[in-house]
Order: sequence, then C-alpha cells, then structure tokens
Amino acid sequence: MREVSVIGVGITPFAKYRDKSLAEIGWPAVKSAIEDAGVEKKDIEAAYCGSALGGMMSGQRVLKQLGITGLPITNIENACSSSSSAFRQAYIAVAAGVYDVVLVMGVEKLTKFGGGTLPLEKEDFEVTHGLVMPALYGMRARRYMHDYGLTEEQLAGVAVKAHAHGALNPEAQFRNEVTLDEVMGARQIAEPFTLLHCCPSGDGASAVVIASAEKARQYTTKPVRVACSEVNSGKYMTGFRDMTTPEITVRGAKQAYEEAGIGPDDVDVAEVHDAFTIAELLYYEALGFCDKGDAAKLLEDGETSLGGRIPVNASGGLLSKGHPIGATGTAQIAEIVRQLRGQCGDRQVEGAKVGLTHCTGGGISGFDHGACSIHMFSV
Amino acid sequence: MAETAEHTEAHVLLAGESLRTEPDGSVRLVGGRCGDCGTTFFPSAHVCPECMSEKVAPTDLSSDGSLYSWSVVHVAPRGWNVPYIAGYVDLADNVRVFSHIVDVDPTALEMDMPVSLTKAVFGDDDGVPVESYAFTPGKG
Repeated sequence: MREVSVIGVGITPFAKYRDKSLAEIGWPAVKSAIEDAGVEKKDIEAAYCGSALGGMMSGQRVLKQLGITGLPITNIENACSSSSSAFRQAYIAVAAGVYDVVLVMGVEKLTKFGGGTLPLEKEDFEVTHGLVMPALYGMRARRYMHDYGLTEEQLAGVAVKAHAHGALNPEAQFRNEVTLDEVMGARQIAEPFTLLHCCPSGDGASAVVIASAEKARQYTTKPVRVACSEVNSGKYMTGFRDMTTPEITVRGAKQAYEEAGIGPDDVDVAEVHDAFTIAELLYYEALGFCDKGDAAKLLEDGETSLGGRIPVNASGGLLSKGHPIGATGTAQIAEIVRQLRGQCGDRQVEGAKVGLTHCTGGGISGFDHGACSIHMFSV
Repeated sequence: MAETAEHTEAHVLLAGESLRTEPDGSVRLVGGRCGDCGTTFFPSAHVCPECMSEKVAPTDLSSDGSLYSWSVVHVAPRGWNVPYIAGYVDLADNVRVFSHIVDVDPTALEMDMPVSLTKAVFGDDDGVPVESYAFTPGKG
C-alpha cells in the first residue's frame, strides 16, 4: 500500500440554508478544496460523496454544478459516518494505486425536514416505539452518571467548552459562548439533556482532496500524511450491553493506533463525535485520552480545552460547529488538516503534529453504533 | 406512525405479533428462539442473528425485568404524547427491550429497579389511539 496525503480541504460553513438546494450547499466546499489543493478539475480521477439523507446521487448533483463529471462518482451512506466512510474508500483506492488524485466530499441538508429530532429509519422496531437520538444518548448519560458519579454540572461543562471553542471558529454554526447556567436552564429535550446538550440541526458541506504521497509533492510542500484509516460496524447484541462503554470506538481505536503506530499520548489535537455532551466524555475514555471514569476530571482540568494537553473539538465540535450529519466526517478532517498546517487562527493548537478524527453513526436497534470511523493524520 | 403497526378498528397496535393479549386482557411479549443454537431475541425474525438458522420459533418472554436506564423525552416526532419516559429493560431471558416506562413519577425511578410488563397508549395516529407494551415499576 502506498502512502497517502491530504492536499486540499474546503468547507461550506454549517448553517441553515432553507432556500438552497443540496447542490447549491455542496459546490462551494468542493471548489474551495480544489483551489486549496491547487489541482485542475481534470486531475481528479474519482470522487466519493457521503450523505445520509441527501437522496439519490448526491455527489453527481453537486459535482455537475462545477462540471466535474464523466469520472467515477460513488455515493456512500453510513449515517453520521457517511463522508468519513467515503474518505476511507478514497484512501483505499489511492493507497492501492488505482488512482493518484481523488476528491472526497460530504453534504447534507437537514432543514428540509423542518426541525425537531433527526428522522430515523421507520422499519426499525425501537424507532417505531419512540426511540429518538437524544433519548438514546440520554440513557447513556443517565447510566454513566449512576455508575461513575458524573454530575449534571460536569455534563453541562462539555457544552460550555464546545461553545468557547466554536466562538473562535468563523465557520461554526454557533459562535457564542454559553454559561453553565444557560446550558442547564435551556428547555428540556430528553433528560438529562437540555437543548444546549444537543448538536443543532443544520445544513452544510465539506470536501477534501487526497493524493498519493509522490503525486502530492507536485502540488504542495506541506502535504498532511494519512497515518491510518479505519471504519468499523457495530456488533449487534440482542441482550445486555454496557452503554457507558462505546465498544465500537474502543475496538476501532485499538485498530487505528496499531495501524498508525501512534498511541493516544502522541495525539496533539482531536475532533470527536460530540453529538450530545455525554458522547464527548465517553470518547475521551474510549480513545484512551484518560482512564475509565476519569473523563469529567480531564475536562474540568482543562486538558481538552485549547491550551490543554489534548485539545478536543477545537472547531467547536458537533455541538457548536454544527452537525449536518453526512458532512461531518470530512469537515472534521478539514479541521485537523488546517490544525496541522497551522492555519486555525485563534483556535490554533500550537505545534500540533498529530491529529485524530472520530465519527460514529447510529440510530438502529441492537448496536452501540452502526458505524464508526477513526482517522489519524501527521506532519 | 409505524410501518410495521397493526391497524384494528379501535387502536394502532405498534408491536404487532411481538405482543399477545390474553383472554383476561393481560399481555405477553413474544420473542424468537432459535431451534438450533437456543439464542433468544426480541423482536423475533425469520433467521437467527447468531447462527443463521431459519428454525426460529415464537417464544414467550419474561414479563419481569430490571430498568437499565431511562430518559424523559420532551421532544419527539408528531403523534407522540410528550413527555414520555423511554427506557431499556433487561429481561431474565438475556434480552434487552426498549420500552416506555409508565404509571410512575420519573423522580421515583432508580437504576436496576424491578419493572413488569403492562400496556399503554402513547399517542395517536390521525385520531386513532396508538397502543403497545410498556413497563412499570414493581413485580408483575
């Protein structure tokens, strides 16, 4: 397998674009990534597009706007892990030597559903009985609070940190700081979560151009190396499962660290799937940033804030940057690439050399999550 | 509301064949049991998720369980009466069931407390009551 590098990234800032089509939301991210990479349209040999709810041929609908057509375009759906799964397919193709330069993108328009909780698959038994994503994470939170003594104040602290970071990101959906009282006093969604414990609904797109390491040198003197690329599905369990331990992330992280030859202590900056406040704490532990039960202490000590030992979600994360679900995976990758290039301005993690992205997709019965992707990057 | 639901004149029964009503009005959860490897699961299916055997037969599940966790849901899709309590209940058969928890003040709920099977109405589908199984604190 060949070494693979990221040479360009772009984002359509996450927001509510009710009057724009999916195609109109998508193309600015792609154009921006191509310009950032310095490649010509004709250099792109294949494209992979992740979208969960964009409908048929999301990739073609976006790419025809820019006249990027006639090449192999593959659309990939893996819920919230859609574009990170697309990234893995692109990575495999380049690493295997099938292509030299490939475009990966993610695009989503959630405002078309009019608001409320994310629409889930109606054939799923638990969904037909009233399971919604905030309730699923709320049950994880409640159990973790019982088993490990986490308080509601500590849980709310995740949202405070996310917004403090998001306030420094000009591309975040929310760029306002919030206080602990504001988080805890917001309207109830699914206990113990108020609105500010939950990622917002929104629209957006993100795109990445990757190339073989050899080809990358033609375009840039600062390629960002893909250190590992890992996608897993969850294990279907009909009986008891420990909802305080996200098994798919624990398993994926072990594989990712082995593949990269890098350990959790080597990670300088990480973007993790904080769809709800509890998720970020569970992932500190699952990714090995701290021991089981110590997540709240890691947060309270400031270790995961900017300036700390391992800043997590410097972009604002899903809670503040936003979560147009299929667009999130490549947006996380765009953030880490910019961090490793030193392009993040006020939210820059100084001297970052190794970054990690983690993106899970869920919403069906019997799984911790249906899908989980972990990628690592280095310079 | 639910594509798998069974519509009767009076009610929409969400659980379909996964819930049986006895002549005395009480209810039983019906799961699947694999005739080859013995795995029990809920809801049932035509193939065993453990060994792929198609010798799956309906089996009555325990009506008693323990409450693994819960969340009081205030925002849900149209048709649901909110707030409602969503929970996971672990049955003695090593089967975890997603269920509404009813007839209790949520502040009285405790982790791992015993709960037992009942039925309840959760909302409406164009004016027709939507009904299914639920659990409530206490031994059945």
